[in-house]
Amino acid sequence: MKKIGTVLCVAMAVLGVAGCGHNSPTGTVASTHQRGTLVNDPPLRVASLSASGLAADLTAQPSGSSLLQLAGTPVCGVDVYYLKYWTVAPDDSPQLASAALMVPTGPAPSCSGPLPIVEYAHGTATSSTYDIADVTNPANPASAESAVIAAVFAAHGYIVVAPNYLGYDISTLGYHPYVDGAENAIVMIDALAAARKALLSTFTPQTSDDGRLYVTGYSEGGYEAMATVKAMQAAGETVTASAPSSGPYALEAFADAIFFGQVDIGSTVFAPLITTSYQHAYGNAYSQTSDIYSSTYAAGIDTLLPGTTPLSTLFQDGKLPEAALFDSTTPTSSTGIPALDTAADQLLALPSSAQYGASLAALFDAGFGTPYLVNNTYRVAYVDDAILHPDQAEMAILNHQTLTSSDVGLAASPAVGLRQDLKLNDMRNGDWAPEEPMLMCGGDQDPEVFFLNTQIMAAQWSPYLGTLVNVLDLNATPSGQFAPLQTAFQTTYAGLVAAQGPSAALQAYHTTEVPFCMVAARDFFGQVQ
Amino acid sequence: MQKKIITLALGTALALAASGAYAHNSHPNDIRIGAYFVHYDSVATDISGPFTPPGLNTSIGSVTTLYLAYVRTLSAHFQVEFAFGYPPVTYAKGKGPATVGSLPYNGKEIASIRWVSPTLLLEYTFLSPRSKWQPFVGVGVNYTRFIDRQITAEGAAVSGGPTSISLPSSVGPAVTAGVTYRWSARWHFNASYSVAQVNSRLTTDTAGILRSNEVHFWPNAVVVSVGYSF
Repeated sequence: MKKIGTVLCVAMAVLGVAGCGHNSPTGTVASTHQRGTLVNDPPLRVASLSASGLAADLTAQPSGSSLLQLAGTPVCGVDVYYLKYWTVAPDDSPQLASAALMVPTGPAPSCSGPLPIVEYAHGTATSSTYDIADVTNPANPASAESAVIAAVFAAHGYIVVAPNYLGYDISTLGYHPYVDGAENAIVMIDALAAARKALLSTFTPQTSDDGRLYVTGYSEGGYEAMATVKAMQAAGETVTASAPSSGPYALEAFADAIFFGQVDIGSTVFAPLITTSYQHAYGNAYSQTSDIYSSTYAAGIDTLLPGTTPLSTLFQDGKLPEAALFDSTTPTSSTGIPALDTAADQLLALPSSAQYGASLAALFDAGFGTPYLVNNTYRVAYVDDAILHPDQAEMAILNHQTLTSSDVGLAASPAVGLRQDLKLNDMRNGDWAPEEPMLMCGGDQDPEVFFLNTQIMAAQWSPYLGTLVNVLDLNATPSGQFAPLQTAFQTTYAGLVAAQGPSAALQAYHTTEVPFCMVAARDFFGQVQ
Repeated sequence: MQKKIITLALGTALALAASGAYAHNSHPNDIRIGAYFVHYDSVATDISGPFTPPGLNTSIGSVTTLYLAYVRTLSAHFQVEFAFGYPPVTYAKGKGPATVGSLPYNGKEIASIRWVSPTLLLEYTFLSPRSKWQPFVGVGVNYTRFIDRQITAEGAAVSGGPTSISLPSSVGPAVTAGVTYRWSARWHFNASYSVAQVNSRLTTDTAGILRSNEVHFWPNAVVVSVGYSF
């Protein structure tokens, strides 16, 4: 029968009749756009690395060797899948997004069968081509972060789900809902749902979800991870444990500190990402970009990031200042209220060594220059608002008070639109606390995402400290179960200072923490079953 | 240039065919059966597309298949041949790095392709129609259609999942040279060497991710056949 079919097929083909012949199937394509829908089933496997292959790949790179040393020799191989799934934007419109699914492989007992899931939220990315699934492509800006989560988690028996946020890779949203907690929690939850479906049709379907769910992330991802825990708890879903790391959790206090002159490294990049995000979500950040930004940079700044132009080019082309967030000729407040103006003028002045110490003052001072990003009128209005409607935690820190749960309250009724949005997205908002164990990892000298974020959350949740809520300061005197990691981080950082000098080392501080915090997260998860 | 050759060959063949069969030959029709020994000199660009490491290429293995042809004598020195083989299954093999990640690649059969490749040739015979030996040369047109395209298990593994393959049909020039030996009025033996040009674009679809490369084949075939004239 088959031969007759072939003969007919040949005859039809010779005569040029279309529709003959066979082709391999490609799986199914979902027709609905419902949240959490996996688009292609089975998903695309983009890489298959054996444990020894992964170790060899990492050893071939200088940063990979130290990562391998820290994370340990891979026990499992790793299959990396690229998922497309449906989620929603802040305006509830259906959005196509993508994610990585990393599945442990190999003969070791801990590499197959029912395994726990780690969901990972990635850090701030300025390139819209960022794709955390593209692990073997060194040209992809996500490849280093991908390697860390593959080496730390997947190679040690954790299934990893890592979404690319909206605004990246295949997303056509046109911007990224940066530190929009509720929105990115939706993306994380939807990616997880799609990944759980994808797990059933991988090359290793015997590897399955054992029901344990761990959530972690770093930097922006630390914030989004905490927001995900908050949202999942509110939805009645259990997160076995979480480890948000070095995230800007206390957004309002953090932004107030920056406007008070404590300018962090990277602020000229974070600022447009935040204002664009909140303007899309709430429409109250500005009427026009020049309300916030100086005339040098205002035009087109709302479409700059994330984008395809490298940051270095944006700096060279004068689209963004590299460090000068504020005018080095500092403005003064003129409300006519003497007490307010006096207080504001002190906070608007250049950071002084007397106030912060020499090294911090030098760090903050780099955030002032000409041309500058944020216009003086807006900075004065923001600072005035932050004094009239203070963030209690930031004020306590300014006054060198020890933070307690009673003095970390948010501003009662901020008048500036951006502060209203920051308050809404601040993780103190909503009167909640983690119901399952949480580890907050970071370093108290982090010049990019200040450790005050962790300290404020720890103070807010002080009744749970040491039980449900745990803090790891990599820079503290080594003690307890994480002492080896603290020692290793401090040794690594001291090596950076010796090799590159204090200034260059400080620039790398935030990035240097990543693998240490992720290994701490893995160790922590291992204790919470 | 390629189009001109094809047009010229087809035009000449049609003109001669329209003039009627060669009046001197009482057996102007000829059918042939034999073996096609096909070697594919293929050149392909590296595979490009998302999630594709650099340097991945493909090659095509050689095949032997059944040769069938119909030849019509047009004049003392011209004949037209319509030749086709039983659609052979050929295997595309990985060419490039030994492994992609931890998966074997170089030399592995990654896809099987069945194709029909009829060729129409206008041939010139050199000696007398009554000569036992009749050397000939020919030029014509080849049409290649890929009718059955399957990814292998190894191909699916390295591609990342179930994969469909598309290969558009190709039309290109073909040339031949050979000899016919007649041992009786009706029976004869043929041997020839033919080369055709086949260009296509191989595109794979794995979970919606498209990858492709340009493939250029010069299938060169040695044909050994017996024929019967009527």
